[in-house]
Amino acid sequence: MTQVIEARGLKKSYGALRALEDLSFTVEPGRIVGLIGPNGAGKTTALKAILGLTRFEGQLQVLGRDPHSQRDALMQEVCFIADVAVLPRWLRVSQAVDLVAGVHPRFDRACAEEFLRNTDIRMRSRVRELSKGMVTQLHLALILAIDARLLVLDEPTLGLDLLYRRQFYDTLLGDYFDKERTILLTTHQVEEVENLLTDVIFISRGRVVLQSSVEALAGRFMQLTVNPEQAARARELKPFYQREVFGRIAMFFEGRSASELESLGEIRTPSIADLFVAKMQEIAA
Amino acid sequence: MNSPAAGTPAAQAASAATAPAAKRLTRNTLLTLVRREFWEHRVLWMAPLAVAGLLLLCALPAHVHLDMIDAAQWRDPDHNAAVFALAQWGLAAPHFLVMAIVLSFYLLDCLYAERRDRSILFWKSLPVSDGVTVGSKLLVALGVVPLGVFGVALVTNLLFTGIWNIRASIGHSEALVLWDTVTWLKAEAAIALVLIVSMLWYAPLAAYLLLMSAWARRNVILWASLPPVVAPIVERLAFGTHYIGRLISYRMHGSWAALSLPHAFEHSFSQAGHGRLMSASALLDGLNVPAAFANIDLWLGLLAAGAFAFAAARVRRYRDDG
Repeated sequence: MTQVIEARGLKKSYGALRALEDLSFTVEPGRIVGLIGPNGAGKTTALKAILGLTRFEGQLQVLGRDPHSQRDALMQEVCFIADVAVLPRWLRVSQAVDLVAGVHPRFDRACAEEFLRNTDIRMRSRVRELSKGMVTQLHLALILAIDARLLVLDEPTLGLDLLYRRQFYDTLLGDYFDKERTILLTTHQVEEVENLLTDVIFISRGRVVLQSSVEALAGRFMQLTVNPEQAARARELKPFYQREVFGRIAMFFEGRSASELESLGEIRTPSIADLFVAKMQEIAA
Repeated sequence: MNSPAAGTPAAQAASAATAPAAKRLTRNTLLTLVRREFWEHRVLWMAPLAVAGLLLLCALPAHVHLDMIDAAQWRDPDHNAAVFALAQWGLAAPHFLVMAIVLSFYLLDCLYAERRDRSILFWKSLPVSDGVTVGSKLLVALGVVPLGVFGVALVTNLLFTGIWNIRASIGHSEALVLWDTVTWLKAEAAIALVLIVSMLWYAPLAAYLLLMSAWARRNVILWASLPPVVAPIVERLAFGTHYIGRLISYRMHGSWAALSLPHAFEHSFSQAGHGRLMSASALLDGLNVPAAFANIDLWLGLLAAGAFAFAAARVRRYRDDG
């Protein structure tokens, strides 16, 4: 099977601001990919380009199509929740289900209704009467009932409380995800999706800083925590980033084996969040 | 440059195989999108019903002072038919007047509202093209609502006449509106024809309002009224001519001339005799519907409507609100 997304040399400017600068990455089928970057890194612009919502320069194929010129056909196989779930406020829950059922060839009404039965959302309610968390649940119910090949989520849980955020990702992983489907998501709360992702793409200033599967990260990156007296020796192995934690020093290495490092202190695989911070600091330095 | 389209033979074969399914889906989509407009803009169905309700309420206490009119005329069947048809037109007029106002506001709002309430990305996440979206709104404004209002006006007319005749039969009012099936059918046909021609004639105006709705960032009404107000003034100052003003005014009421409607009124007056009520059949005879369809301006207007609608879909598609 071909790649779900193949981006090569994407460029996009808003006036003098360069949102994307030579962005290249691929997304394989059956993966859950986190597109992670600081504010203004170009995450949302990249997603917009993938969804055919904005013009761009460079090469981009989504499910073998050009998202810009073949957007209408693409939307039958791609679902997205952009930013916080914003559904029209006048829409009733029952109407929302009717609406998607009426226009989407891959929508399974029974599936959406089953999901909604397990929530406090009533079919007669209007969106404006629902809490923010419930609107997200409704949106999720609609999206999960669509048999899409690619699901794109842009900060889907922004503004939700912890319970709804946890529930959102549990549902996504438990009810939705399978080997046929691919999920691409951006979020600021990296810790929350850490255990969910199979792949990460770090981007900064419109470029890819790191693309890797989560399994491969373990072999490639090491976090070494050393006492100050060991620090000089550890630095000789050229950590790409270091910081002080409670009087000890955490150092991040790329391409070093465990045997090289373990005599110096404690080693472990860095968390995605720590690795992200380290990578961003490395660039800034 | 974007990469070339993936028009592989396999993909083309697959799309050919799903063509009937796609057609069924498009019909289903259109139906759903039309329902959506009535969910969002409830005034589209509430206003006609409200007008009907008010008119029927009026039927209950209404009185006509017959001493205004020469009593001798009431024995004239032609005259009776004329009063009957006139009541029919008079009852229909409020419906279509309110419809025109409601539709204008609807068209100005419908593409702006989805950006104002930030639901645009939800709509864009559905597999509905911008062209179909814009088309569904025009279909509602120029097809579904006029047809519905015509139906409501027709039923209102029947109920009104019924109420009046019940009141007459129990002696509460004059039997002013005598039922006359032939006249009734003729008058309804005339209303329908005028309505169809009007909708085609005003299609460019409707599409223009849609374009403004898609384009304006705020104050849609202001932006929509700016060009027709400013352009004639600029033309006058720059060239001393009035072409734009004349064109706008022609597009606003030219359909009546195209239908020979003023002429038809004159015709019916002269046939019925000066100072008397027009006869409905004379009015219908005077209506020149073929001439309205033969009028090149009607078709040029439709062409302009197509261009405005196309532009509205493009603006909705490529607007990058950032």
